[in-house]
Amino acid sequence: MADSTPMTMVEPVETGGGASFWQDARHRLWKNKLAVFGLAVISVLAVLCFTAFLFPNITGYSYEQQDLVLGPAPPSHAHWLGTDPLGRDLLTRLLYGGGISLSVGLCATAVSLIIGVIYGAIAGFAGGKLDMLMMRFVDILYALPFVIFVILLMVFLGQNIFLLFVAIGAVSWLTMARIVRGQVMAIKRQEFVEAAHALGLRRGRIIFRHIVPNLLGPIIVYATLTMPEVILLESFLSFLGLGVQPPHSSWGVLIKEGAEVMEEYPWLLLYPGFVMALTLFSLNFLGDGLRDALDVRGSKD
Amino acid sequence: MYLTLLCLALLAGGCGKHETLVEIGDRTQELRIGNEGEPASLDPAVATGVPEHNVLVSLFESLVFADGKDLSPRPGAAESWEISPDGIVYTFHLRKNGRWSNGDPVTAQDFVESYHRVLMPSLGSQYSYMLYPLKNAEAFNLGKITNFNEVGVKALDDYTLQLTLHSQTPYLLSMMFQDSWDPVPVAVIKKHGAIDDRTNPWTRPENFVGNGPFVLKEWRINSHILVEKSPTYWDAKKVRLNKIYFDPTEDADTAERMFRSGQLHSDTQPPPSKVAFYRKNKPDLIKVYPYLGTYIYKLNVTRPPLNDKRVRKALAMAIDRNAITETILRAGQEPAYFLTPPDTAGYTCQTKIKEDASAARQLLAEAGYPDGKNFPTVEVLFNTLQTHKAIAEALQQMWKKNLNVNIVLHNEEWKVYLDSLRQTNYFIGRFAWIGDYVDPSTFLDLFTTGSGNNETGWSNAEYDRLCRVAANTGNRAARYDAFQKAEAILMDEMPIMPIYFYTQARLIRPDVHGWYPNVIDDYDFKSIYLVPEKN
Amino acid sequence: MLRFITRRFLETIPVLFIIATATFFMMRLTPGGPFDSEKQVSPEIRARMEAHYGLDKPLFQQYLLQMKHLLQGDLGPSFKYPGRSVNEIIADSFPVSLELGCEALVVALVFGLAAGMVASLKQNSAWDHIPMGLAMIGICVPTFVLGPLLISAFALHLDWFNAAGWYFPRDRVLPALTLGAYYAAYIARLCRGGFLEVLNQDYIRTARAKGAGGAQVLFKHALRGGILPVVSFLGPTVAGVLTGSFVVETIFGIPGLGRFFVTAAFNRDYFMVMGSVLFYACFVMACNLVADVVLVWLNPKMRFE
Repeated sequence: MADSTPMTMVEPVETGGGASFWQDARHRLWKNKLAVFGLAVISVLAVLCFTAFLFPNITGYSYEQQDLVLGPAPPSHAHWLGTDPLGRDLLTRLLYGGGISLSVGLCATAVSLIIGVIYGAIAGFAGGKLDMLMMRFVDILYALPFVIFVILLMVFLGQNIFLLFVAIGAVSWLTMARIVRGQVMAIKRQEFVEAAHALGLRRGRIIFRHIVPNLLGPIIVYATLTMPEVILLESFLSFLGLGVQPPHSSWGVLIKEGAEVMEEYPWLLLYPGFVMALTLFSLNFLGDGLRDALDVRGSKD
Repeated sequence: MYLTLLCLALLAGGCGKHETLVEIGDRTQELRIGNEGEPASLDPAVATGVPEHNVLVSLFESLVFADGKDLSPRPGAAESWEISPDGIVYTFHLRKNGRWSNGDPVTAQDFVESYHRVLMPSLGSQYSYMLYPLKNAEAFNLGKITNFNEVGVKALDDYTLQLTLHSQTPYLLSMMFQDSWDPVPVAVIKKHGAIDDRTNPWTRPENFVGNGPFVLKEWRINSHILVEKSPTYWDAKKVRLNKIYFDPTEDADTAERMFRSGQLHSDTQPPPSKVAFYRKNKPDLIKVYPYLGTYIYKLNVTRPPLNDKRVRKALAMAIDRNAITETILRAGQEPAYFLTPPDTAGYTCQTKIKEDASAARQLLAEAGYPDGKNFPTVEVLFNTLQTHKAIAEALQQMWKKNLNVNIVLHNEEWKVYLDSLRQTNYFIGRFAWIGDYVDPSTFLDLFTTGSGNNETGWSNAEYDRLCRVAANTGNRAARYDAFQKAEAILMDEMPIMPIYFYTQARLIRPDVHGWYPNVIDDYDFKSIYLVPEKN
Repeated sequence: MLRFITRRFLETIPVLFIIATATFFMMRLTPGGPFDSEKQVSPEIRARMEAHYGLDKPLFQQYLLQMKHLLQGDLGPSFKYPGRSVNEIIADSFPVSLELGCEALVVALVFGLAAGMVASLKQNSAWDHIPMGLAMIGICVPTFVLGPLLISAFALHLDWFNAAGWYFPRDRVLPALTLGAYYAAYIARLCRGGFLEVLNQDYIRTARAKGAGGAQVLFKHALRGGILPVVSFLGPTVAGVLTGSFVVETIFGIPGLGRFFVTAAFNRDYFMVMGSVLFYACFVMACNLVADVVLVWLNPKMRFE
């Protein structure tokens, strides 16, 4: 049965105590300038956004405060990034929305991670009939037109940010499950596992000491790469009108609103678009860097 | 490699200027219209929306049609008519040279059978109520009587049609602008399936037969509808257009871009931000005019605190409608202080809502919520659309500022929202009503007890009585007096909160001649023609 | 191989059955029905319409009836477009989406493979960073932003193309670029990753040490291995591309199937939703099958998995 994974598999390693492998990885990551840059950007943005999210009036405006008299205005001293057609301050909405988008990204990724890892690990470890059934189920889910189901889910469950996370996470775990399963199966066959088994180590010990550390690599990488997809997905839902609801904002909402008026009020698309693109870039570079760092086989001379 | 491919693509794009579709249309007298949506059906008895109506106006001709300038009823399939002194019997004399597009003559029997079809319960026509002025039409439609001979429509001979109404309906002729009054080729329909089967394929281009100035040539779902001048139309000599191309693009931004890039002569749904831009920078490309519709918030009077009319009035008085029309809508809309659009068939309501924040606060205090204290959570329900959201957000802030109440916004997807309204499962619900015909009753009848579109739970016996009075007399003074009193009750009880009156903002090129704005935005395709713009 | 294919065919039947059942119940249990409209109809008329389409029967009976029709290949009528059957609508709009999808794939493969190959050959140089950076644009700029930007620049300001529509050959360019950009980006990354992995293998180094030139090395050894991840990725994705993208079809006014997917769900057009879901599922499984066959052919090692 073919394994359709969209990324290269990390060759499992004998980890022993595990220390040197991780130190090695950290060292390689540090050398990768783009990845470091990505990490830095994400950290700064995350701090800014979550601060704005937790202390809503920090910029002097609230994200929902309207100024109908002012209307849409270009960047000025009073409003650093300008205002939207309802006179709301863009900088505030951008930071606040960033908090929401990043939270959605994190939570959805976490949901998809948890479900995917557990599911994939069970399937990979169990093997045989159970594995085949479980993977068939994944195939079925893959074959569903995702858009229709998210619409139905959103409509069915009402429109609520929490449910949004769950809905997105619930449809993103499939690839993670496949990867984890593949990885577990590859590891299972490794000699060191057989050796451990032969030595009489309990199943649990094998799992925790040997298998899990080898799973962490691909999981981390894939999780970092899932976040951008989730954020983009949230923006697509906003395009359909199903995403975050007013008066809250998210990057998806801001970009959608900005795209509609990009010829009259370009700043409304420019800033949110730039920030979101920057975040996605950073996440992707970080993920690539992590993958390069954790991939022993692809070591460069 | 990138560069070579890009060049190839751009070469394919065509070097230099090519003739735009609009320029080709000007040359060949082909009008290209942005039609706002894909028609669900081109059967006049089944169609319900504006995109359908625009196409049907070109394909069918009823007894009368609307003059493009002043909406007066002009002789269509009927060349003349008489109305009996008591206003109950209308006798129409059909043209002897009226023809279907397959050459058959248009006869009075065609009309009788068409109206029979519309009223057949099994067809499930959603606008059958437009024929209810006919005697016993409602009873027949609801299945209470089964003999169509009892309904007030008869063919006295091949070219004489007699309609008997159950009460005076002075606006009857203007009701005929709606598609349910169109004749349909019953014999042709029967050839393709059952007469009352909504899925009957008689409207496919290869089967289509109509009696209007144009015939259906092509119909590709989500792509286009093309109609061509009909050679059998009795007034074909007067029709100057050769073809009309209806574009079904629903996305407002896409449609506006198509207009700008020379693909459409006219676009009826420019986004608000573009409307402001055109009005300022390209005023010769845009026309803004009143449209027969009102945007309101329905208030569910069965749910506290909205069961207290003081609360309802307070909410209605504590908002600034001008701010909404000036900053959010910006397309010349007028704030609405009552329900029926001003000057509807000469009627303008005299009772107005007074916007007064302090008086509103006082009312709210009297109702038991001084300064908004203990005011329960009230939700505004609307369907997911940018403008509704913007308006709701603005109102939410106004209520917070003026009354210190926290109103929560709840947007639902379209069908869910409709379902909620229907089940009266909401607090405040956004709603809009576009008049079916030009008379105040199309608005005021909405809120009578038991009306399917009431949905507020509000019921007032005196209001019902006044609406009935207006329905049963043809005397204009008496009718309008009843309307004034009824609307005064409505504005006192406030089961609905009017927000603004619609306008239509239309992007239209100067090459289009013979088109005039009117309040129901009906096209008069017979009078429209194209003259290439001289550069 | 033949056994493999037949086994897959047989496996699809229970899968489709499960999908159909899940779709049916999910649609029916969602609030809002096909006949809800802003101008509400009287209850009598609503009852007539529901009876006409069999919606008044008990739910389970409707389910069995639907299954029976599906087995006969009849996808039912559309509620939104009375007079058109779902079969007809799909047959009419799918070729459009298919054409758009193929053109987008061509764009994606050409740009993506080119970028990936160049980047992998000159790893960590400007030739690596710049194409990969450009590729990133495809991933980080949503289609509903990229599309209008392209239209604004090329159609409205430069007047090279129409803003929307699907009449002339040149109308294909902007939509294909917009739709293809995202996939081009992914393909570029996968391709680069795959090639790098192969290029760093010992046997490649040996070939190079023996004096084989860059291009020769690439085409003889690396291509096969490097394309593997791309094919794995394309399998399920191709189905999505070929069945139409709602966003691109909306922005460019393209009469494809993608739009129906979304609007049918919003309209509660039950039969249309069922038809779309099943059509899509079949298509995905077919594409997966093709991808798996290609994978096995490319990589004999996997034959024994």
